[in-house]
Amino acid sequence: MKKCNYLRLIKFTALTIIFYFKCYSAFSQQKISGFVRDINDKQPLSSASVIIKGTNSGTSTDNNGFFRLIAKKGSTLVFSYLGYISQEVLIGSDSVLNISMSKFVSGLDQVVVTGYTSQKVKEITGSVTVVGGDDLTSVPDGEIEKMLQGKVAGLTVINSGEPGSVSNVRINGIGNFGDVTPLYIIDGVEGDINLLNPNDIESLQVLKDAGSYAIYGVRGANGVILVTTKKGKNGKTTMNFDASETVQEPLSKGLDILGPQGQADYIWLAYKNSGQVDAQGNPSSPLYGNGPTPVLPDYIVNGNGYAANAPQVNPSLYNITPTAINPIYQIMKFNKQGTDWFHELFKPAFTQNYAFSASGGHDKDHYLVSLGYLDQEGTYLETFLKKITVRVNTDFSVNDAIRFGENIQLYQSQSPPGSPDIYHALLTDPYLPVYDIEGNSSSENGQRAGPADNPVTAQLLTKDNRFYQWHIFGNVFAEADILKHLTFRSSFGGGFYFFDSYTYTYGAYDPSQGLNSLDEITGYARSLTWTNTVTLSEKFKGGHSLKLLAGTETKSDYGRNQTGTSEGYLTNDPNLRLLGNGDGVPTDESINGMASSAFLSSFISRAEYGFKDKLFFTATLREDGSSVFGPENRFGWFPAVSAAWRITEENFMKKINWLTDLKLRASWGKSGFDGNTGSLNQYTLYSGGPGSSYYDIFGTSNSTVQGYTTVQYGNAKTGWQKDIMTNAGFESILWKGKLSITADWYQKKSTGLLFPVSLPAILGYATPPNVNVGEVDNTGVNITLGSRGSFSKDWGWNSSIAITTYHNKVVKLNDLPYLDDGPYNGIDYPVRQEVGYPEGSFFGYKIIGIFQNAADVSRSPVQQDAAPGRFKYFDANHDGVINDEDRVHFGNPNPIFTAGINLGVTYKNIDLSTFSYWSCGNDVLNETAGSLDLSNGGVTPKSSAALYGSWTPKNPNATIPIVENSFNFSNSDAVNSYPLEKGSYFRNKTFIVGYTLPARIIKKYKITRIRLYAEAANLFTVTKYKGLDPEVSGSTSAFGIDIGNYPANQRQYSIGINLNF
Amino acid sequence: MKYVKFFLMALFAITITSSCYKAKLNQPVPGLLQEQQLANNTGVQGLLIGAYAMLDGVSTPGSPADPSYGSAGSNWIYGSICGSEAHTGSFNGDLTIVEQIEEFGSNPGTIYFDIKWAAVYEGVQRANSALRLMREAKDMSTADTIEVRAEALFLRAFYHFEAKKMWNNIPFVNENVTYNNNNFHVKNDTSWQPIENDLIYAAAHLRTSQMTQGIGRANNYAAEALLAKAYMFEHKFAQAKTLLTDLIQNGQTSSGVKYDLNELYSDNFNAADKNSKESVFAYQSSVNDGVSSPWGGNGNTGDILNLPNGGESGCCSAFQPSQYLVDHFRTDSKTGLPGLDNNLPPVKNDQGIMSADPFKPDTGTLDPRLDWTVGRRCIPYLDWGKDPGYDWTREQFGGPYSSKKDAVYKAQEAQYTANGATIATALNINFIRFADILLWAAEAEAEIGSLDQAEAYVNRIRARAANPAGFVYKYIDPANPAGGFTDTPAAHYFIKQYPPGYFQSNGRPFALKAIYYERMLELGMEGHRFFDLVRWHIAATEINAYIQSEQNLTSYLKGVTFIPNKNEYFPISQIQIDLSAGPDGKPVMTQNPGY
Repeated sequence: MKKCNYLRLIKFTALTIIFYFKCYSAFSQQKISGFVRDINDKQPLSSASVIIKGTNSGTSTDNNGFFRLIAKKGSTLVFSYLGYISQEVLIGSDSVLNISMSKFVSGLDQVVVTGYTSQKVKEITGSVTVVGGDDLTSVPDGEIEKMLQGKVAGLTVINSGEPGSVSNVRINGIGNFGDVTPLYIIDGVEGDINLLNPNDIESLQVLKDAGSYAIYGVRGANGVILVTTKKGKNGKTTMNFDASETVQEPLSKGLDILGPQGQADYIWLAYKNSGQVDAQGNPSSPLYGNGPTPVLPDYIVNGNGYAANAPQVNPSLYNITPTAINPIYQIMKFNKQGTDWFHELFKPAFTQNYAFSASGGHDKDHYLVSLGYLDQEGTYLETFLKKITVRVNTDFSVNDAIRFGENIQLYQSQSPPGSPDIYHALLTDPYLPVYDIEGNSSSENGQRAGPADNPVTAQLLTKDNRFYQWHIFGNVFAEADILKHLTFRSSFGGGFYFFDSYTYTYGAYDPSQGLNSLDEITGYARSLTWTNTVTLSEKFKGGHSLKLLAGTETKSDYGRNQTGTSEGYLTNDPNLRLLGNGDGVPTDESINGMASSAFLSSFISRAEYGFKDKLFFTATLREDGSSVFGPENRFGWFPAVSAAWRITEENFMKKINWLTDLKLRASWGKSGFDGNTGSLNQYTLYSGGPGSSYYDIFGTSNSTVQGYTTVQYGNAKTGWQKDIMTNAGFESILWKGKLSITADWYQKKSTGLLFPVSLPAILGYATPPNVNVGEVDNTGVNITLGSRGSFSKDWGWNSSIAITTYHNKVVKLNDLPYLDDGPYNGIDYPVRQEVGYPEGSFFGYKIIGIFQNAADVSRSPVQQDAAPGRFKYFDANHDGVINDEDRVHFGNPNPIFTAGINLGVTYKNIDLSTFSYWSCGNDVLNETAGSLDLSNGGVTPKSSAALYGSWTPKNPNATIPIVENSFNFSNSDAVNSYPLEKGSYFRNKTFIVGYTLPARIIKKYKITRIRLYAEAANLFTVTKYKGLDPEVSGSTSAFGIDIGNYPANQRQYSIGINLNF
Repeated sequence: MKYVKFFLMALFAITITSSCYKAKLNQPVPGLLQEQQLANNTGVQGLLIGAYAMLDGVSTPGSPADPSYGSAGSNWIYGSICGSEAHTGSFNGDLTIVEQIEEFGSNPGTIYFDIKWAAVYEGVQRANSALRLMREAKDMSTADTIEVRAEALFLRAFYHFEAKKMWNNIPFVNENVTYNNNNFHVKNDTSWQPIENDLIYAAAHLRTSQMTQGIGRANNYAAEALLAKAYMFEHKFAQAKTLLTDLIQNGQTSSGVKYDLNELYSDNFNAADKNSKESVFAYQSSVNDGVSSPWGGNGNTGDILNLPNGGESGCCSAFQPSQYLVDHFRTDSKTGLPGLDNNLPPVKNDQGIMSADPFKPDTGTLDPRLDWTVGRRCIPYLDWGKDPGYDWTREQFGGPYSSKKDAVYKAQEAQYTANGATIATALNINFIRFADILLWAAEAEAEIGSLDQAEAYVNRIRARAANPAGFVYKYIDPANPAGGFTDTPAAHYFIKQYPPGYFQSNGRPFALKAIYYERMLELGMEGHRFFDLVRWHIAATEINAYIQSEQNLTSYLKGVTFIPNKNEYFPISQIQIDLSAGPDGKPVMTQNPGY
């Protein structure tokens, strides 16, 4: 083997030398043979042409990609293959030529699905990015949204590290305050991309401008991603098998949390600084005694600290099953070394991913069957996702005119029913041991609390909780060519969804503090879409072509669920966790149910005109009627026009050889958005519940009379969001695909944004409806640079950079001055949506320094709780008083740009690729640091920065205010800019090395291809952010707020295999 | 052209079929009630029940994580803790917001003020929704509409009154303020007029007996009493006096019983004696009624933290009486009268003494109401056993004492506590009891009428307190508290009425001082004190004196000051002020002075 490789290397070197010095002998004839393969997947290319340059003679490759011919030394062979970059090779002394060919960056003749029809890439007039299934799976991950990050300019993806969590996906900025997830159309039917097996995807088309997505009408305004699943192809059955094993490692460094001694010192300092000391000037605490310095106890009993020899630490007193005479007595060791809660909670995690498929077909019938299995663990205890997918796609032709087929998928998943509260778990006192002296779960509040009070056991006890999902979705379709150019197509599709989720809550040690209980919720939903279209397609003399499409679509949705709660289970045996096994005492939520239904009726039309492959016009028009809106605002029309000019097809451009293709595009269109509007939005609704509106009006002490209350205000005038988008751009291919550049500029005006407006509490608790609250404008530029080719017959490269920028601004708010938003932090909302500011803008008091002394306080504007060592806020209106009018927008979570950078190199059978992601210029609110660094009157864990780096008269330049036992307006009891940090980061997301076994080795096992690969993910991140991970997901309108986010930057290592038979 | 014809035909067919589907755009409304289903007698009555259900300030079964304490109907935080009767208990760092409020350090961002605001206005809206749907109901008799209107207006006034006490400067929200009318940016002002108007209607139109409709309903006398309370707050003593005299002479409970003091003071805090002749208006607490949450459901959810911790009788020790309150119960050993100038010796306490270490309780003369108001070391705590002091508190963070009026007897546990767990109970929250009426009447008389009559009212209260049957007695067997009580009083109780003519001879200021003092003794820990101090215009002096005397017990009071003309009212939630802004961005609500 080794010798052989040396030989090949020498041959290669020789060839290169020959090539460079152009010293060749010109006349001898030579037999040449070899294989032609795809540079990436090493699949043989059959029927590729091999021509001797300057002649008409040549040959083509057979089914194995093999060719043989005779040529003169010194002549040049031209290898070409449809959709691939042609390659020229000089013939030297080598008689074996193995050629690796690269695909065209954009296969101009590739046919891709666009709205309700399909087009050649070169005919597309809108801004559409095609992602091939291979490109997608080149970054192995079980979750498709995560794999899309950085792949498409204009597509922003923010991930969380939690298995199965949904990423924030946005196309071209943030077009509304609610749900901005694009519309996913899977084989023509609305669906959920997260349910797909990535290996089943043939291609994804990301429709980014209204010219291409307006045909999806009222559902389209967030952009549309069309997913085409793989189909069987002509030829014998091929089978693929992919497997990978992954280990993910928790971050080595957790949060900066003081150890027990430090925490005690902090408390002492806080008491002293707050004057909360006895006559001798000493603080006191039940844990640390009373003296000039805190004394760490050996044991904790009922919140008091004791030395090891104290009588209270007698294990015979221990009791966690209280009776009337014998109350709880839990004895815990005080962990002087400190419990590293972070690493108690985050452990290495393993993932297995398998995919198998078989496909094939003959001229008329094709089939594909696939099977996927993912068993993914999260590093946080008991977080996981297990899913199984089965897909069957078939299509048949009855005769030349009639075709039918189906695409169907089954999906089952298991995951935990909820997300863990990482924020509070990480803020557990470090002196607390995980287990008490008897090995039972320790509990912070001692006495009565139970295992749920300890983050490790709380999480371990969720082990048997489950959220099961079953989905069946897909479509059946029939196509008939009624006349020569007239095709009728009918597709009936949709999905059925069933789920069951149950959560068991363990009781407290003292049952009077909370019984064990089981909550179960089950339900189903169905969505049915029926689409009927007729297409007329005709070519006319003189190069004119016309394609007309018209159709209808109806979509009907219905869902129903029921919840049950039962408590008082005899034992915690997981097998008894059925609702019937509780004590039978009804609880408030004991039985409940909900249902919803919605209907959408639409008319679709589309016209495409083409002239000689160089001029294209497309116009689309859709009418939608949606039941979620009141009768006045139920119907709407959505027009769009777009045009493209392939300028390189013009004669005057033909001379420019380096410019292979240049297409100029422009589009304009209107689309809508009816999402995040419940189907009952138009109605004011009432309900009653035993715990909320029933009342013991007869004074019986144990029975109530049914009562009602308003639960929702309806708004019949709410209509859908209306977006107007203008897009202009170009697509170019240079040097026959060695370089490609696509750039787009867009402007998107989103009016009538749908949002559940916050109402003053004088209207009561009823949920406000979604209303059309205002307008957001987005402008941006998306640039994709691609480059691929080969340096020589053995060396190839491919690289791409996708740059996304958007500038987002709230332009108008109807009848509202602003919208406060964000995770409520117990004080106020950290986000305010306001005219003139970008969405998600952070809002509050801006810190301009720390009061240094009494004189500083007195010469500064009047501020509540102002004192030396506390924050000094910015007097925004210069009125000498700090009050609510001085709150300002102090941070912006939107990046200036993001870039996905993909670099790949192949050498012979080795492929190497790396993908990096860069987010630049975004701010993050590090609420976790805010909690660790700032005094809040509690004794929660603090950072070492807070103890050692906070303000003292001798440390006047500190940014952390004075340590004190106080929670006030001038330290942490106001939304202020302390947690603001720069969130820019550059992350190497994946680094992959693959090796494809040489064909001659595997041929005898009848295997077409074996590729082995190893991947390292999240190898390094460059950032100034001090929290765990600057990639912080959140809601659409409030994001970049780090409150115990599940880090998405944990390193992981995988090995995998791709097998093709 | 044939194709085009076909195409057009197909298009036509599509348009026709498509229009057939448009009827399906009127989808049914599954699962929830709409206005037309409730706009009838049953529905309106149900909405009215819903309006009563907010009286506890909590709409959903709580859990310890829910800050429903901030909206508790009992006002234990605002009325009692801020009113110098009690401290924030539990352990250091647990109830930081309550502690901050106690320290008068709260600000417009303090969440409890948002929660309380939302709870009282939810009550207002529930009352308003009954009024609104009644307009649409076709099957209601005139008598029914009058009664429903009167009850709804009473409740609406009650909820506004709660807001008025807290913030003074409040929006009045009538039934025409709705989401759909888009008129919900309501200015706040300090007027009492709309509250008075609602109560005047209610007092004039409510039934007297609610026996058949439910004794939890307000009757005409309850409305009259609340109106009298409003007049007291407004210092309209003449109007108040007229109503109060009528109430004392003719008033009846909703069950048709003439108002009177219960024979035993403690009957007011016994779930078995709820809706007694002394109860004027109360939240009807219920447990085990289909909501089995140990955290409350329809029990007194806002108060579930307040019982002693560590024993069996409950949890959390969040509401700990102050030494200042306890000292008020000292009586003069010769006269049996209270020390109105706080000049009597303080009551001995067990602060800093572990339960295992010996302690001898105070032996001086005391008002017997003390040991029904305060749980203190060595004194029988109902039938739960002797109060062990330290072990029932959480490290004595808020002092050595426990609350007591909100505890049920162990013998009642099964019947009056949620799920048999003594957290939430079926003890009513007394908003107005007859003793309250007597003391207002005494105050009104002292202000503008007869000092003798004032004294007579006060003495009626003291006479009941002096009833030896109402003392706390020692256990027969301390090891078996359920075994009954001896006839030995648990402490040296000694209380006398004011001698005849005492008020007259000492003059009006003395009389008022005695009445103010008596309110604390009679109504201590019942959520009234702070609001009383404010309406008497003595909050700053009283509370600052309290802070001075109390800060050695609870060190967190060091450096705390009550700022006059600011801290009399709480800050209005910044969130609500922000939300009151119309399209121009200018909030229509104004913040209280000083915030």
